[in-house]
Amino acid sequence: MTKVFVTGMGLITSLGDSVVENRNSLCSGKSGITSLELFKSKYADSLPFAEIKIATEKLKEILSVDSADLTRTSLLALHACKQAILDSGLDSSQVKSMRTAIVGANTVGGMCLTDELYKDSNSKEKGSPFLASYDAGSVTLFLQKHFGLKGIANTINTACSSSANVIMYGSRLIKNGLADRVIVGGVDSLAKFTINGFNSLHILSKEACRPFDKSRQGLNLGEGAGFLILEKESLVQNRNVYAEVSGYCNANDAFHPSSLSEQGDGPFNAMKGALDLAGISTKDIDYINAHGTATENNDQVESVALLRLFGTVPPFSSTKSNTGHTLGAAGAVEAIFSILSLYHSELYPHLRFTDPIPETKLIPVQEYEKRDMKHVMSNSFGFGGNCTSLVFSKV
Amino acid sequence: MLYIHKASCISPQNTFNNVDLSILMPSFENMLRAIEPGYEGIPPGQLRRMGKAVRLGVGAALPLLKDSPQLAGIILGTANGGMEDCIKFLNQIIDYDEGTLTPTNFVQSTTNAIASQIAFMSGNKGYNITHVHRGLSFENALQDAMMHAIEDPTKTYLLGGVDEISDYNFNIDFLLGCFKEKFTSNDALFNANTPGTIAGEGAAMFLVGGQKENSLACMHALSVLTSTDERELKESFAEFIYSNNINLEEVDVFISGENGDRRQDNFNTEIELAMPPEIGIVRYKHLTGEYPSASAFSLWLACHLAQGNTAPAHMVKKVGAKKTCRNILVYNCYQGLQHSFMHVTS
Repeated sequence: MTKVFVTGMGLITSLGDSVVENRNSLCSGKSGITSLELFKSKYADSLPFAEIKIATEKLKEILSVDSADLTRTSLLALHACKQAILDSGLDSSQVKSMRTAIVGANTVGGMCLTDELYKDSNSKEKGSPFLASYDAGSVTLFLQKHFGLKGIANTINTACSSSANVIMYGSRLIKNGLADRVIVGGVDSLAKFTINGFNSLHILSKEACRPFDKSRQGLNLGEGAGFLILEKESLVQNRNVYAEVSGYCNANDAFHPSSLSEQGDGPFNAMKGALDLAGISTKDIDYINAHGTATENNDQVESVALLRLFGTVPPFSSTKSNTGHTLGAAGAVEAIFSILSLYHSELYPHLRFTDPIPETKLIPVQEYEKRDMKHVMSNSFGFGGNCTSLVFSKV
Repeated sequence: MLYIHKASCISPQNTFNNVDLSILMPSFENMLRAIEPGYEGIPPGQLRRMGKAVRLGVGAALPLLKDSPQLAGIILGTANGGMEDCIKFLNQIIDYDEGTLTPTNFVQSTTNAIASQIAFMSGNKGYNITHVHRGLSFENALQDAMMHAIEDPTKTYLLGGVDEISDYNFNIDFLLGCFKEKFTSNDALFNANTPGTIAGEGAAMFLVGGQKENSLACMHALSVLTSTDERELKESFAEFIYSNNINLEEVDVFISGENGDRRQDNFNTEIELAMPPEIGIVRYKHLTGEYPSASAFSLWLACHLAQGNTAPAHMVKKVGAKKTCRNILVYNCYQGLQHSFMHVTS
């Protein structure tokens, strides 16, 4: 069975609008968690958010697209997807080949336009231009059309683990011979829908989040998009390869719709399954990019699961302390961060950590560090008990 | 190869307990709503909190999970999941100006709530995924299951497709022009000769895996296309037949996803013309209405026919030359853009 390699990456988050800018921000310990400037919400003054400070109209200008039905979500996806294709060096005929698939992810699609959606769904009058832009599939359908993609196309929604699953699914499409290359990625933009949803669950922090800290108060919502190009080994030849997708596993915690079980069976099984598929043991993992949302429940359970599986937990951090929780984008964004660590042999500082959780005592990486690594893991857990872990290996 | 071992379906017709397709249940104001069963096996407290899509999905899945082998996972396709709850939460946000809201609707509205609810209720800690690619949501779930059957043929998965009619999606799709302007009853759907179709909903669930023994049917081949060009459709269909070594002379029945929308007739005609003349043609969208994962119903129907059941006259567009129904081609088109072909044998 062929190996699957990552040959291109694209990013836009509150840390910057390219992979390079994001890496620079991570190296220097920059936080993208600030006050809202562009997005209108009643919570603008009381809650911090990891907002991308580029207005939707400006994004259209940068991307040279001008269709009335385009949402911010589709634009962020296009931005990251374009970069990833360019980075991998694929030409137009390769992109348009029947053997190039696309698998996208997001959790609320075009529902970032909550007010427009309210009008469109409650009135019999003439609709807005966004009628076909609200569903999750609309984002991938837009990318299919924009790039003239002809191969298999899919969109996955498993809440906050959505775009970890697209990396898994894309790899399986290649290993099963259904595609030679797969464009995979995730996106979400800030939405009243998710802000009010997470707020109603009382898990939004009034201050910039503190993952794995004893005094953590919840998460900050962010926005972003991350896209990767996956290719089968034989197509890569002399081109740059960032990493091999060597392990993945999706497992359900089967406990509660919006919180994880005390023992963390879902996270444990996902991490263990990913290691088994990669054919490596816990000792071989050099770094873990944790899910680390900074909610009471997640960080506690993830710590328990890490200790259960690893015994001695390898260096780990949560880059949500930089980017906030980007929901449907988080899996892909953090996969790219993990790959950057592996590729550049460096660990990035986890922000705002002071005291460990008393029961588990895990301490994340807090200083920038050069370190040679062979295998890194990225965790993504979501509502509905949807847990996915990925392992990337040096090529 | 993917084999279907059990099938279950909640739809606007009598498909759940005692299957009887001979009586056509009528539509109301261009909608065909699912006949919801008593949901035995779901605790009343839980049932009350479930939105319709979750009820339909869980309700159709539960009978399959009784006395079945350990499931390796749950693979669903749904374009919108629980939109009823989504709109309730959305209305709260606006009506209460982002005030203090209750989270129940928010948690139920996440698209993955159906698959995760089935996991909680059955204690299933395996693979769990929700495919949401609009009119190809179920097809992608099916593709996923087909890969699993190759990766490990010994394992059994729950596969399904679910979508509901909510005020939200009916209104939005109506404004988009998907539904007929005038009320058209479902028994006259194929004679209306007007643009648009009627709305539907339902859940079809399957136990699937790589083992042939005691299976109802075999999912031999699947292919999809995203295009508004009928020439591309014709080429894609020819490629599907050729690359999967399907002998059209051996096909007994063609299940057509024709939905009464005049603007899509060209696609259905293109595929019908590509078939040998003796193939029988069966239609079902007047039973189900149109919804993004309606192709899950067409697979349930293929399994039903493959079991030796005959399609009642109201479903038969063209009587075929063959008495048997063991070799079935299925075509679906969603909103003139997303197309799929399935080849099912028994």
